[in-house]
Amino acid sequence: MGAWEFYLIVLLVYLGTDLLAAWGLNLEFGVTGVANLGYIVTIAAGAYAYVICTLDSPASAGGFQQYVGGFGLPFPIALAGGVVAGSVVGVLIGITGLKRLRQDYQAIAMLVVSLMAATVVTADTPFLNGNAGLVILPQFAPLSDQDPELQRWVYVGIVAVCCVAGYLVLRRFTTGPIGRTLRAVRDDEYAAAAIGKNIVVLRLVVQAAGGALGGLSGALLVGFIGGWSPGAWAYVETLALLTAVIVGGMGNDRGVSIGTFVIAILLLQGVQFLPQISSRLGLKEDLGWIVLGTVTILFIWFRPQGILPERRPKYGASP
Amino acid sequence: MSGARGPILEVEDLVKHYGGVRAVDGISFSVERGAITGLIGPNGAGKSTALNVIGGFLPPDSGRVLLDGEDVTGEPMHRLARRGVVRTFQMARVFGGLTTIENLLVAAPAQRGETAMGLVGGKRFWGGQETEHLERAKEMLSAFGMRDKADEQARNLSGGQKRAVETMRALMARPKLLLLDEPMAGLSPSLSKQLEDLFLELAHDGLSLLLVEHSLDTVERLCSKVVVMAQGRVLAEGRMSELRTRREVQDAYVIG
Repeated sequence: MGAWEFYLIVLLVYLGTDLLAAWGLNLEFGVTGVANLGYIVTIAAGAYAYVICTLDSPASAGGFQQYVGGFGLPFPIALAGGVVAGSVVGVLIGITGLKRLRQDYQAIAMLVVSLMAATVVTADTPFLNGNAGLVILPQFAPLSDQDPELQRWVYVGIVAVCCVAGYLVLRRFTTGPIGRTLRAVRDDEYAAAAIGKNIVVLRLVVQAAGGALGGLSGALLVGFIGGWSPGAWAYVETLALLTAVIVGGMGNDRGVSIGTFVIAILLLQGVQFLPQISSRLGLKEDLGWIVLGTVTILFIWFRPQGILPERRPKYGASP
Repeated sequence: MSGARGPILEVEDLVKHYGGVRAVDGISFSVERGAITGLIGPNGAGKSTALNVIGGFLPPDSGRVLLDGEDVTGEPMHRLARRGVVRTFQMARVFGGLTTIENLLVAAPAQRGETAMGLVGGKRFWGGQETEHLERAKEMLSAFGMRDKADEQARNLSGGQKRAVETMRALMARPKLLLLDEPMAGLSPSLSKQLEDLFLELAHDGLSLLLVEHSLDTVERLCSKVVVMAQGRVLAEGRMSELRTRREVQDAYVIG
């Protein structure tokens, strides 16, 4: 029991929530080809939805923070609220860019949505307490009257169960005829339309599913750390997930899982253990982003298919 | 169904402008049922644009397209495809990340695995249908002599093979009207010949085809009726053997 055990718990929760998010982004970008640079907004929506579902109304909670809603709902319902919010926001982001835009313009439109959402939440304090963010008090405790360490391990278990459930849902979309159809949409949307695929509907369904995974990720994360603010979901966070997808192997669920471990845990946590080389605050975080960008470029140059390339089922070449 | 014995497709006064350019300038013609209709003309005549508008790839500026007597003008590609109008592209478009056989499988119509029930029910719900599609896809690959390429990623195929995949994929969608934009371009003479025989056979079995083609010899062998376009208009219509002797057709090909 100590600092290292706590750190391990934190890492496991981070890994679980990052996995859910990376799977969602891989479904949208790696499998279906929607370059959703605003993906972090679905995670933020899940987190905020969880917070306002969990909290009582602002007045009864002491009035020290402002927000809409405040429903005092139990944990599973608040989690479901996060999933629904992520899904709805995913579809809304999809609508901005899917109907008439080419992929490169889609990416820009969705990035802009991400920036706009952050600006609105920051500027409109009565909505979600602006820049100060929201804090959940008291924090969620899975078991009453137990010691905090055990509570946290139980939470790791909840995250693990959510990951297993999320992965099973994900596989339904990425395998079989629907997974094949989505990859066809990614490879050539016109040819896919020419054989009867409704591109817009397919992409919106994927946005809903990917957003649901993002929402679940955000809700689980905020349930653990107990607070959420615009600083937690800057647009660059999407790029970290995108790096995990590219490094792991676009379109390959297992590859993306490995990529998430490498990027979110080994790399971004690894830089924290570098020796102090300057008194400048935040240097290690900045260094993390520099390394992240470099790794992305190196992979795009030398191994664009990622650690585990996309693999397709074999049917046998002979009759 | 109305007009079930007449032409399968009728084009009436179709117009498509690009800015000031009248790419298709009021064309009317019909596509015969269970036969191959050729659409020919010099470069820039508007053949591909006409095919793009008929196939739902581009909306027309005016005019009508009737399928089996029903107005389908401006319907998007995927909806036309579900009505049985399937097209191929001038530059072969394959799904590069999928294997050859997957390129065929993905085109099978009304797949149970693509529905909400399929997502919930999983393989038990769609597995049987998938097996049928697989058999059909394997047969088609064998017929095209590409059985050994089944598991090859489509992006690694040669240009001619990609074109063949595109044709097989279109057939896999079970069309009633096939719009083909230069399907023989880049194919080996033997594969070309095979494809010609296949098209004739399909037409004999009741499929209707509209074929944009450069080689007049191919058109003469395949098409019962030929529509000649030049500068966005229909210049002449008839059998190729008659059209060859007509002055305005010769002029269009010589002068462009």
